[in-house]
Amino acid sequence: MSAPIRVLTAVPICDGHDSAINTINLEFIRNGIEVVYLGFHRYVSDIVRAAIQEDVAAVGISSYNGGHIEFFAEVVKQLKKRGAGDIKVFGGGGGTITHDDQRLMQKRGVDQIFFAGTSLTDMVEFVRKRYGKRPKRRPTSDAEMKLARNLTEIEDGYANGKRARKKIENRKSKIENTKVIGFTGPGGAGKTTLIDEIVLRLLHRDNKSRIAILSHDPSVVGEGALLGDRATMINSQDDRVFMRSMATRGQSGGLSPATEDCLQLLAQEGFDYVIIETVGTGQEAMPFQNKLVDQTVLVMNPDYGARLQLQKIVMLDLADIVVVNKSDQERARTAMSEIERRLEGNKRDQQLVATVAKRHRDAGVDALCDLLTEPTQAASKKGKKK
Amino acid sequence: MSKLGRVVEAVEKYNAFVEDEVKRARTDKKFGTEMVKRWNEIKAKIPVGTAPTGLKLPRLALPEIDEAGDITRYLLGDGLPGEFPFLNGAYREMYLEPLQSPAIETGTYEKNGHGAKSKLNGSKNGARNGAAKLAVTEEPTRLFSGLMLAEDTNERFHFLGRHQRSKRLSTAFDGPTLYGIDSDAPGILGKIGEGGVAVDTVEDMVRLYDGFDLGSPDFSASMTISGPAPIIMAMYIAAAKRRFGPGIVPKLRGTIQADIFKEVQAQNETIFPVEASLRFLTDMMEYTTREMPRWYPVSISGYHIGEAGSTPVQQAAYTLSNGFAYAEMMAARGIPVDEFGPRLSFFLDCGLDVEYIALTRVSRRIWAIGMRDAFGAGHKAQMFKVHTQTSGRSLVAAEFKNNLTRTAAELMLSYMNGTNSCHSNSADEPFTTPSEEWIRLAAHGQAILLDESGIFKHTMNMLSGSPGMKAVERAVEAAILEEFREIERLGGVMGAVENRYQRSQIQTAAHRYEQQIYNGLRPIIALNKYRNDTEEMPEFELARTPRAKQQLQVDRLKKFKEKNAAKADKALDKLAAVVETDENCFPALLEAAEVCSLGQISERLQEVVGRFRPMV
Repeated sequence: MSAPIRVLTAVPICDGHDSAINTINLEFIRNGIEVVYLGFHRYVSDIVRAAIQEDVAAVGISSYNGGHIEFFAEVVKQLKKRGAGDIKVFGGGGGTITHDDQRLMQKRGVDQIFFAGTSLTDMVEFVRKRYGKRPKRRPTSDAEMKLARNLTEIEDGYANGKRARKKIENRKSKIENTKVIGFTGPGGAGKTTLIDEIVLRLLHRDNKSRIAILSHDPSVVGEGALLGDRATMINSQDDRVFMRSMATRGQSGGLSPATEDCLQLLAQEGFDYVIIETVGTGQEAMPFQNKLVDQTVLVMNPDYGARLQLQKIVMLDLADIVVVNKSDQERARTAMSEIERRLEGNKRDQQLVATVAKRHRDAGVDALCDLLTEPTQAASKKGKKK
Repeated sequence: MSKLGRVVEAVEKYNAFVEDEVKRARTDKKFGTEMVKRWNEIKAKIPVGTAPTGLKLPRLALPEIDEAGDITRYLLGDGLPGEFPFLNGAYREMYLEPLQSPAIETGTYEKNGHGAKSKLNGSKNGARNGAAKLAVTEEPTRLFSGLMLAEDTNERFHFLGRHQRSKRLSTAFDGPTLYGIDSDAPGILGKIGEGGVAVDTVEDMVRLYDGFDLGSPDFSASMTISGPAPIIMAMYIAAAKRRFGPGIVPKLRGTIQADIFKEVQAQNETIFPVEASLRFLTDMMEYTTREMPRWYPVSISGYHIGEAGSTPVQQAAYTLSNGFAYAEMMAARGIPVDEFGPRLSFFLDCGLDVEYIALTRVSRRIWAIGMRDAFGAGHKAQMFKVHTQTSGRSLVAAEFKNNLTRTAAELMLSYMNGTNSCHSNSADEPFTTPSEEWIRLAAHGQAILLDESGIFKHTMNMLSGSPGMKAVERAVEAAILEEFREIERLGGVMGAVENRYQRSQIQTAAHRYEQQIYNGLRPIIALNKYRNDTEEMPEFELARTPRAKQQLQVDRLKKFKEKNAAKADKALDKLAAVVETDENCFPALLEAAEVCSLGQISERLQEVVGRFRPMV
């Protein structure tokens, strides 16, 4: 089984036409391609940063609002400037891109433009044929790109059935000042939004801090995946944030087979914070078994069902911090007191925080951020672990 | 239960009431006789007109029924045109030509339910608006334009309107404006003036409508913008005051799209979080409802939902439920339903699927029942007034002249549904901004249907009430109510939005549509059926904004910002402070619009309320 092709798709700045790209994304996924979807209304700089960090084979842009000649050309130019000229650019815009435009765009380095009426099958075939094989030697012109490409080697190594151990020099170690935080919880609890709000605060509190995010979406072996967290994580699209989206590629429990190795690599890169997000997990999941994670956060919905359900959630025993998000919902009060009682039974000093991540400047998220940044707290937590 | 739940109950209850009354008419002799008597009186009062061929026809066609139960079902369940529940039309004599010589014609109506006062949202080119009588005083055509800089669009407005007495301008904005971004922001050059006009400041707004009398009863402005709509609205008012003084405000006439729900569900031009956007919108609506009685502050739009790939039922269901949600918000502010209700108007898409035979008819009925029975609205606030546009999505590039036929069929469907106004798309739209030749043909399509053909001119109800149409109506109404119930289960419109319910439903439908085209289940002529592979795609000259013009806009904006720097900071501080409270922030926005740019205002508001987080 060879590693899936990874492409990034996006819609340009000041353009909200995402109907075509949504359909194309779905078709790519069904045909085994992993799609990192950046969303609509995106700057060139966001696209280029994401393409490099995610180390995709190609960038697909769907443009319906004009200005495509400049926009596509700028993406090609910026990729080349970063030394990532091997990441190709393709796209389309229904009838808004004329044949004359296409010729001009190809002259400026765009790989392919699809016109209205091109079948989805043809597009899938094109991507498979053209981007299916990575070049043997790929440039690594800066540290970020080197990191991105090493992560790809690890991931592809697992997909090809061999672990790429050599990339990680000191296994089970990390740089002293790097704090690794794991977020987990059921789907729809608001993990992604919460992390993005935390990132916003971390970036503001210290204008030098650098953050890495390892985010997961589910996929089945041999099939594609929609890796869409970047579209929602608006604050994390920043030059001080290194974000990598991974598909679970058939592994259960919320993480990918390559996660641990990737996490180890990231932990040795000198980031101030490394944040890892699992896919939506079930009651029995306990995703963070390795010793690299300093603090674990369980994010919950207030509507987990009857109180009895709480007894079955394993992470309630293991998490350092439990967050009840969407605490503006009616059931939140009951949820808070039920969970509090459940945690008291554990007799560890676990923290319980109520948040409304979607609310701007939410005080609960501030409080959570305090817990995550307190160095003493983290040290004491670490001491308690075996 | 949100109001939507009550709307579902109201429709179910009303349908049951109709059937009970039908039974009563059949069993209660006195009631039955009354209904038959009423029916005969209605029939006797219908005026008779004469076609150019000399054929005499009643100006209102009624079904050939004489049994009390059937009569009751028709009068209560469907209603005469202009009467509750408005299935057959919001007004009595839509599209009919005036009686040639009233003296010799027989019969007259009582004086009510006459005429369309609808000055509707976004009609670009358009057909007759309601009663012919009104068409004499105001042309229904809207002159749609938006290109390059304000002065270029202004010139186009004057050119397009040179032969028209009434000036109905419809404005398209460029991408940066739609997203509340200034022209001097980094990373957007190349987008300035593309696809619409660039507006950054009140000065641009002055230039945009220069030479037009904004307070004249013959003038109305339509602005197609939603995300930053309250800011643009404030700039429009500020520009009007600059030119005509503060007394102009109550005279301003027009509409602004401002439909945040459909942006979040389909069109993606949103800049603030949903709740904050709705608060700014309601602040603006409250202000215009009180201060600008001739303004339509929101155009509840299904068009973009349809174009994003929804099914027709989804389009109607989401649009109507969005409408009820806006009504609920306004009612929650304590504004009487009969004040804001008549200021709500709709904008729908009409494609070729069978549902479109009755989609607008059913929408009108549900709106009327919901507004009356769940909101307590009176006659005027019960009327669903709608502008229809033919489906851009149904047009294809391959053998594009076929698009004339597609649009003609859609026009026919739109008028069968009794739309208040209509825009027909140009056949060349799959390639380009419509060129003059094809715009003309598209507008002519409407004239051929309404003026040249006798289909709609002589008899109201010409194409309503057939057994087939009734079957479609029943099926569509049931399906819309089912969608309402699902939305209600998710906590009403807002809850469904947060669960990205509407978005994912639309995306699934869009994907299915594409697959059906590729697997042939959905024949598209010249694309997947009767293909002509020898045809070359035509090439068109495109109008693009020159670099020098884009630079001019940037330079002007910079100058404006320098000039107003001190005042801008103060106004923004004040605005931010009001937004932190529960007060209506529109008056502070009005002040800010005098001295701040669009980008300055939206950035400052984003600091207070946050940025929109897209839903994938």
